[in-house]
Amino acid sequence: MLSNPARVKIIWLQGITCNGNTHSFLNDPALGNFLESAEFIHHPLLPCKNTLKELVKKLPKSDILIFEGAYSASFERAGMAMETLLPALASKTSHIISLGSCASFGGIFKEGNPEQISGIVFDKEEEKGPLRAMREKVITLSGCPAHPKWLSFVIDMIVSGKRIALDEYRRPKELYGYLVHNGCLRNEYFEWKVDSHHFGTKEGCLYYAQGCQGPFTHGSCNKILWNEVSSKTRSGTPCVGCTEPTFPKSNLFSTKTYMSIPSEMPLGIPKRSYLALAGAAKSFHIKRLEERLIDDNA
Amino acid sequence: MITHELIERIEGEAVLDFKTDKSGVVQDANIRFSHFRGMEAILEGRNALDALVITPRVCGICGHSHLIATVKMIENVYRNAGVSIRISDKANAIRQITLSCELIQNHIKWLYLVMLHESAKMLGEEPGVALKALYVSSQVNQLCALFSGQWPHSSYALPGGVTCDPTHIEVMQALKILSDVECFIRDEVLGCDVDAFAQAMEHNRVLSLTGDFGTVLRNFERLGVLEQGKSHSRFLVLGDTQEIIVHSQHSGAIAENVSEDSSQTFAEGGNTYAKNALYNGEFFETGPLARALVQERTGISALHRLYGDSALTRITARVDEMVSLCAEVRELLMSLDLSQPSFITPPSIESISGEGIGIVEAPRGSLIHRATIEKGKIVSYTIITPTQWNLGNGTSMIPGIAQKAMIGAASTAKASLLFRTFDVCSVCTTH
Repeated sequence: MLSNPARVKIIWLQGITCNGNTHSFLNDPALGNFLESAEFIHHPLLPCKNTLKELVKKLPKSDILIFEGAYSASFERAGMAMETLLPALASKTSHIISLGSCASFGGIFKEGNPEQISGIVFDKEEEKGPLRAMREKVITLSGCPAHPKWLSFVIDMIVSGKRIALDEYRRPKELYGYLVHNGCLRNEYFEWKVDSHHFGTKEGCLYYAQGCQGPFTHGSCNKILWNEVSSKTRSGTPCVGCTEPTFPKSNLFSTKTYMSIPSEMPLGIPKRSYLALAGAAKSFHIKRLEERLIDDNA
Repeated sequence: MITHELIERIEGEAVLDFKTDKSGVVQDANIRFSHFRGMEAILEGRNALDALVITPRVCGICGHSHLIATVKMIENVYRNAGVSIRISDKANAIRQITLSCELIQNHIKWLYLVMLHESAKMLGEEPGVALKALYVSSQVNQLCALFSGQWPHSSYALPGGVTCDPTHIEVMQALKILSDVECFIRDEVLGCDVDAFAQAMEHNRVLSLTGDFGTVLRNFERLGVLEQGKSHSRFLVLGDTQEIIVHSQHSGAIAENVSEDSSQTFAEGGNTYAKNALYNGEFFETGPLARALVQERTGISALHRLYGDSALTRITARVDEMVSLCAEVRELLMSLDLSQPSFITPPSIESISGEGIGIVEAPRGSLIHRATIEKGKIVSYTIITPTQWNLGNGTSMIPGIAQKAMIGAASTAKASLLFRTFDVCSVCTTH
């Protein structure tokens, strides 16, 4: 539990970023409630106590340090290199949130300079980021971007002194224990191996041909919906696996197959068992699943 | 005297190097962006469709515009390769709806988080968090997500259409949100209905409007900068149909006349990562003011005649665009024919080679994506962002758009505020 739970002090620092996590968080409809119990010492867009210049000059203490964007030692904010700024602020805080896939694993921007760019604890799957020695303070919220509610949840858990169960990448199990596949409206098609055939329909599973990574990507996108209403798979877009250290993979809109079976299996399913199951499921021809859900859309 | 000012609370950060005379009046302003990510190089060698996932990550606030520019670019490659690709009216309309949503939410955030906040702060009034504006912008993003699945960073548009297959329920939800947004604009932003706002623009009464927009203008007036910030009064709109229209100096212009100038960048011995974007070798302003003048929207044209391309006209153009985009989204939602296909499968991208260009009007202006594709793989990719047009760094003889607007300001602080009227985004400018 924090010393003054009524007013948790947060620093939001940006590394190499597109500001996507900042704008994602601004979508949280509970932002007003959140700001009643939190105070930003620094934030890139919201009104805050310290400007970036002052932040770099004072290097203040905080309760939570949120880091958005990828890490590179020489990248500067207000003239101070990240290799100086980030450890200084990190050593003066009790909790660190690595927000988004860039901060968590290097993300897309690592592709531009793989040697120099990493996450703050992890570099892809490997634990060799600059804050690895402080790993116990770090909670990973991967995602491109991270869902605003995931961040609110973690801050709320920290403020109320509750223990957060974490996975191997220090992601909260309550958020990443699920797969994106979980809660997908197309699950029945997945079970009976009915392909969507093409984009732009409500029907069919996107895993078999359209590149969907939902069956092996950790994330609660289909439980805690985006913008309260939808998700990539609900709008017919294949999951791009953005919460995983492997993001971004390539050929994102097609599924690599072997003998017309996806080469990457749903998480935890042995290939042999899957093949047996798929063979059996495919032998069923369920008329209902081969028809349109709504015949006359007009 | 030379001073350096770090500009924060924009998208990212920028440094302005000001040259001032003894009384503090700005003689020259140099614009520097020091953060670079190399997005174009990241795309090379990838499957062209992967660009639909990568390019939205150029910018957290206008990523959707990048998505639409990318998809139009790829469709253009198909056509240039002589391969037919069809997009239904429904898919086109849905893309336009979601794109307009991105513009509306951007303009609301800019008006409240940047314009209202910074102008009040300069007057010594500490403004609070604009929660009502953030709430309504989150609603606009929700409207977008009904079709795109999420905002930010959706990849729901693909060559051939869109991935979603909406029903009347989504349309009904969208119209409900739109009504709430229109109420917010009427009651909070304008303080009057849209007809009265149109009248106020035409009869030079915008300063007396009671909403938050009026407050921003009055703050600017109290600071003595309302009629400042004039630039070259040259405007450019490239998006929408790929028909290129240039106001005031040229007409019937073509994409080949667009060029990038990297003479000010680090690579050429300069001190910024941002390249300049030029049309016929000259700086042109793009964005809401350019769009309003090119479309000859009555209110903004009237203000432009009286006040030129000053802060007053530029700010009002962004607010006016919120109003007109809401009307456009309503029209599109009402006329959406859901029986049409969302997606018409084109031939495989792996069979396609050639060049293409995709242009859209993004929140800050004309956004251009160009690429060369070889058997579905990206050989080269070039992005020209709206902020490159407006925030380009010229010389004191030939200043860029925002540079010219800052010259003559009574102080560096006032020049910085005028700089922000261009809706500055450093992540886009450098990409």
